[in-house]
Amino acid sequence: MNFNLTEEQHMLSDSVRRFLENECGLATGRDNKSSDQWAKIAELGWLAIPLPESVGGLGGGAVETTLIMEEFGRVLAVEPFCAIGVVAAQLILAADSRQAEVLLPQLIAGNFRPIVAHHEHEARGVIEHVSLQANAHGDKWLLSGRKSLVVGANAANRFIVSARTDGDLRDRAGITLFSIACNAPGLQQNNIRLIDNRWAAELIFDNVEVSAMNVLGEVGEGYRAIDHAYAHGLLAQCAEAVGVMEQALWITRDYIKTRKQFGVALNTFQALQHRMAEMLIELELARSVVYRSLAFIDAPTDERNAALSLAKIKIGQAVRFVCGQAIQLHGGIGVTEEYSIGHYFKRAMTIENELGSSHFHLAQLADLELRKSVAWVRE
Amino acid sequence: MDFQIDPADEALRVEVREFLRTHLPADLAQRGASGFHPLRADQRRWQRILFERGWGAPNWPTEFGGTGWSHLRQFIFDEECALAGAPVTDHGGLRMFGPVIYTYASSELKARLLPAILRGELFWGQGFSEPNAGSDLAALRTRAERDGDHYIVNGQKIWTTGAHTCDVIGCLVKTNPEAKQRGISFLCIDPQSPGISIRPIIDIGEGYSLNEVFFDNVRVPVDNLLGEENMGWTYAKAVLENERATSAEVPLNKRKLAQLREIVQRECSNGERVIDLPGFAQRVAQLEVDLRALEWLTLRALTEKSGGTSLPYGSLLKVRGSELLQRIGEMTVEALGQYGLYVYAEPEENTITAWPMGPDYAPGVTADFMYRRAATIYGGANEVQRTIIARSFLEL
Ligand SMILES: Cc1cc2nc3c(=O)[nH]c(=O)nc-3n(C[C@H](O)[C@H](O)[C@H](O)COP(=O)(O)OP(=O)(O)OC[C@H]3O[C@@H](n4cnc5c(N)ncnc54)[C@H](O)[C@@H]3O)c2cc1C
Repeated sequence: MNFNLTEEQHMLSDSVRRFLENECGLATGRDNKSSDQWAKIAELGWLAIPLPESVGGLGGGAVETTLIMEEFGRVLAVEPFCAIGVVAAQLILAADSRQAEVLLPQLIAGNFRPIVAHHEHEARGVIEHVSLQANAHGDKWLLSGRKSLVVGANAANRFIVSARTDGDLRDRAGITLFSIACNAPGLQQNNIRLIDNRWAAELIFDNVEVSAMNVLGEVGEGYRAIDHAYAHGLLAQCAEAVGVMEQALWITRDYIKTRKQFGVALNTFQALQHRMAEMLIELELARSVVYRSLAFIDAPTDERNAALSLAKIKIGQAVRFVCGQAIQLHGGIGVTEEYSIGHYFKRAMTIENELGSSHFHLAQLADLELRKSVAWVRE
Repeated sequence: MDFQIDPADEALRVEVREFLRTHLPADLAQRGASGFHPLRADQRRWQRILFERGWGAPNWPTEFGGTGWSHLRQFIFDEECALAGAPVTDHGGLRMFGPVIYTYASSELKARLLPAILRGELFWGQGFSEPNAGSDLAALRTRAERDGDHYIVNGQKIWTTGAHTCDVIGCLVKTNPEAKQRGISFLCIDPQSPGISIRPIIDIGEGYSLNEVFFDNVRVPVDNLLGEENMGWTYAKAVLENERATSAEVPLNKRKLAQLREIVQRECSNGERVIDLPGFAQRVAQLEVDLRALEWLTLRALTEKSGGTSLPYGSLLKVRGSELLQRIGEMTVEALGQYGLYVYAEPEENTITAWPMGPDYAPGVTADFMYRRAATIYGGANEVQRTIIARSFLEL
């Protein structure tokens, strides 16, 4: 085993950090214009790094993605790297290798900005939950229903929508992926700002027409690609959380060394020293489960998903604790919108509540425990 | 020992509940239950309604226009009001400064201030904290210098809740810069006075209740001194003592838990209510456990005769009550699903109509949850409360 970064990986981290610190960051999310940083991000090659050479990528992998995402977390960047560069790219890659060769080079170049519209309000973490209906109509499909929390929709120039072409609400079979223009007739997009200053949309489909050409992969076979893409998205988000926590921790460390009350700096109070020690422990445990997930990212899906659930639980707990206590140790200044530390907590809350909360994933693992115990009784 | 609430006290609960049902305007209740900061206009209207019923000051003695209720009755009243979503009343005027005024102030000030508080015409800001005097409040530096029949005030307050809409700010000022706690006085300052500027502070719920207040040669009549000069610290401590039994905010916690229960029943996932999903019911039950324990610790504090070697109830209750508020809020945000992540702008009106998206119970939940990160900070941060427990009671 070796947990050290290679020289190239170090350089990647450094250059991502330098760019994000200078060009992106907290304040950039308040209005819902699509980011003009995207062209630069593409130019820097970050979109190419994790993708295979066959689609124009640089042949890196999930490790590189986590390095990039950690830096996004550190500065609370709002650019939709995870949504486009990880989730959408991995979805296309897994869904349709022929289309991937056409689409991903454009994604890498920054011209193609697909956003996956998959989540529905009642899903609550269940990936196979798809109610949006697609009905065959001659050689076309008609889509009706709703998608929500489509993060990064304001930056999209294409949506990839999951729809049910067969089966029941939570069947894995019968989910189909469609590529749709953002201004397709019958498609209504309502944007809303999230508490962490990213933008999301609710999409309402009213008989939106899609030609058979715009089906991604095979009809009814979309689930596997979504599962794959969400696994990579979840891992990316966990890595982002590590960056969020780490930065929140050091901002707080620096603050309590300078803030004085009772004639001394706050850092001299043992109660606060111990709190910060706890925060570091949680941070490093969280980082460790991200590494563990990297070990499982290419494992058979059941094992992989169990490892990711485990990571999401630990990360969700740690990020709320670390960022919550970061506010606490700041006192009043910590709850102001003007100061940075509260925004780390807000990102923590969106991380916790996206892609299944830690309680959802705990229930998943509990389910696995039950299945194990049933198997044990049978033996 | 007697573990039952007196039937006469229970009768009051019924009476209050009925009164709320018939007299609490629906628009006020909607805002009051929403989690957004209260509007001053709502608070004024509500205070007026309570005054007319004779309930303007539940915690004051009858001779000053209060109800003369026991602590327990006040608690019952607060609980019913909170559950009904009534606007919060003026904490500053009724709980903090009113008692100082009727206990220590001149009869002239009593006559001038107390009736106005009762009628909802005089709302108070609490001007204690300063940039360098937070947990260490005694380090405050805002200076009041005598100049004939005025004080000249210079300095700065921060975190002053409602300074932008209040009628008077009760300030702790330094009248003797040589002495630390002994040099502090209580001064009532009109926020419209020349030389005062107020700067808003937006909180992480994107709401506005906090302010910075700057004093630049502000002239304050000497008559506005509460009680005696240099006795402010003693009064402030007395004020905080009044608070001790209610610091768990059990009524507020109850309303929040009721709201969580409503949301986990109304939100659905695949035809099931959220409460039916794995773990949710257990987590609500755990919150109930912690709330009930706090409630009964509060009841002990409320009914304990003052004096004696009492527990530092205020600190015990503050620590766990504020934590509970945050835990309930966190689960409520999760129960809302995606709606818990949306920014719903704080409305300027009390009746909240067309929201862009989501159910009508969503707006305000996350704003309040964010704001309540401060619950473990304001009113004496929890770290400081633990130190009080350790030092004053455990004698560590
Ligand atoms: C929402 C909100 C509303 C408020 N409303 C008002 C108001 O209306 N009027 C008013 O006057 N004030 C108000 N306050 C101010 C509040 O009383 C102070 O924020 C509080 O006293 C803490 O002070 P501080 O913010 O300066 O934090 P600091 O005192 O700087 O504390 C920062 C951290 O250090 C810890 N700490 C400090 N000293 C010690 C110690 N000795 N041992 C261990 N840990 C320690 C604290 O617990 C905290 O975690 C409000 C504050 C907030 C956040």
